[in-house]
Amino acid sequence: MSSQNVLRIENLGHSYGKFKVIEDISLAIHQGETSALIGPNGAGKTTFYNAISGKFAPTRGKVLLNGEDITGLPAHRVVDKGMCRSFQITNIFSELSVAENVFSPLIIQQKKHFKLSGNIYRDKAITEKTMHTLEQVGLADRADQVVANLAYGDKRLVEMAIVLARDPSVVLLDEPTAGMNPEETENMIALIKRLAKNSGTTFFITEHDMKVVFSLAERIYVLHQGHLLAQGTPEQIRANAQVQEAYLGRKVHA
Amino acid sequence: MMSSTRRHNLLGPAVLCLVLLMAPLFIPTYWTMILSEILIMGLMAISFNLLLGYTGLLSFGQGAFFGMGAYSAALMLQAGYQNLLLILLVGILAALLAALIVGFFSVRLDEIFFAMITLGFGMLFFSIAHNWLDVTGGSDGLPVFTLPSVKFFGSELTFYTPINMYYLVFTLVLVGIILLWLIVHSPFGLILTSLRENKQRVAFIGGNVKILRVVAFALSGAFTGLSGVLFCLFNNMATPEFMHWSFSAKPVIMSIIGGTGVFLGPLFGAAIFFVLEQVIIQFTENWMLFLGIVLVPIVLFFPQGVFGTLRNRFFKQGVK
Repeated sequence: MSSQNVLRIENLGHSYGKFKVIEDISLAIHQGETSALIGPNGAGKTTFYNAISGKFAPTRGKVLLNGEDITGLPAHRVVDKGMCRSFQITNIFSELSVAENVFSPLIIQQKKHFKLSGNIYRDKAITEKTMHTLEQVGLADRADQVVANLAYGDKRLVEMAIVLARDPSVVLLDEPTAGMNPEETENMIALIKRLAKNSGTTFFITEHDMKVVFSLAERIYVLHQGHLLAQGTPEQIRANAQVQEAYLGRKVHA
Repeated sequence: MMSSTRRHNLLGPAVLCLVLLMAPLFIPTYWTMILSEILIMGLMAISFNLLLGYTGLLSFGQGAFFGMGAYSAALMLQAGYQNLLLILLVGILAALLAALIVGFFSVRLDEIFFAMITLGFGMLFFSIAHNWLDVTGGSDGLPVFTLPSVKFFGSELTFYTPINMYYLVFTLVLVGIILLWLIVHSPFGLILTSLRENKQRVAFIGGNVKILRVVAFALSGAFTGLSGVLFCLFNNMATPEFMHWSFSAKPVIMSIIGGTGVFLGPLFGAAIFFVLEQVIIQFTENWMLFLGIVLVPIVLFFPQGVFGTLRNRFFKQGVK
């Protein structure tokens, strides 16, 4: 086993009753590498994400994060171990300000969540990290705004800031550009590229938009009917006849 | 840029404090007693609102913890304990313990299911208080004949007069409300608000939702217990009705009338509740019927409660 494998999945499977949604998935993701999981609707992408991020425990197989077995840990423990995720449908604290949205993960990370007194705005360890995170995603000028009043694209950025706040070693992004207009999509792609390059964060994304996938991913995994159909560099995936047949041929004019 | 500190407007609360401090000098004794009741129930409602308004949990069993406080106080006074601090401490601890146990079993549920299980636990406590004759006095309750006194600048201060009782209530309610205010504005308080907004997201930033909720529930129970102790002293009596679900509904109604989104909203709700009761009761015995008639337009026209809606309209822009 290479120690560079920040995330390693071994023979992962999940069933609902007798129905096997995903089966025998094994993959290893290198430190700092941006990879993408693609596949037609119903291929099992969301189930896969949920099973490795602690939404529920997988029925079979193992998940190793930085060499440590995290299989079946509840969500909050998975985050403690260093893997944080976004959701297809924006998952944020709507009635709180942008800054407060980032305070929450930091309060928990710094183990201040049972602190019953004290003003967070005067806590330098938290406010400085918050501003740093907001600068990274480009929301520093909107720190005081209530999130519910923001544009859709900015709400997605808030979720990005929440996910990044605790400096996770692996970030799972579930369709980060879903519902975005072309300009917002371009910004998000640029942001992920910049973060991957500057902070060395390992991004693992699912995405429907092939343009996004091919402009971001250094390695692509193709899920088809619950099985890992192929994996490789973008060029290899483009050239793969099986993938063409199962998926790309119909959807993308590459 | 992020404002370095959030400003809290303390002028309003300071004026309110002053008014409450002076009020007994200008109003009849009967209304001083009503005011004591408003303050006690206001504290209960604000403690309840730590759950509803801040954590997003509708508890329908707060009466159980109110009763735990009241019965602890009554039992101790009957047994001859006269130390006010000790009585307060034991009452609060008893309520805290009860809330820890109820919370442990309840917080895994949400919304109406949470409301139902807490209501169920509340009725369980009610049945015990109602049926355990030897300890609780059954449906008659436990009367209290002697009240604890306090040494105050060398002289003995007793609380048999409504005025003295009012100032005891005022002081302890003030302490309770200040502590609750600190909690609401602490890091823990922000996490609670995050829970209300999106508990799944809290789990996915590393928060243990169950433990956080149990702690919130226990704290709410403890402050509710404090209000229960005070009510037992004020009322000279602990009765099983405190634990009945209809009593648990009071802080719910008060919070909704006053506004769950504002810290002091439930206190104003309690004031409106009691003043309405006093006004309506002059005309009819069926005051709950008329309370219902008043409640409907309040819910319709003041979506954030009377206090919440007025404040948002005149003092600051709300969300959206």
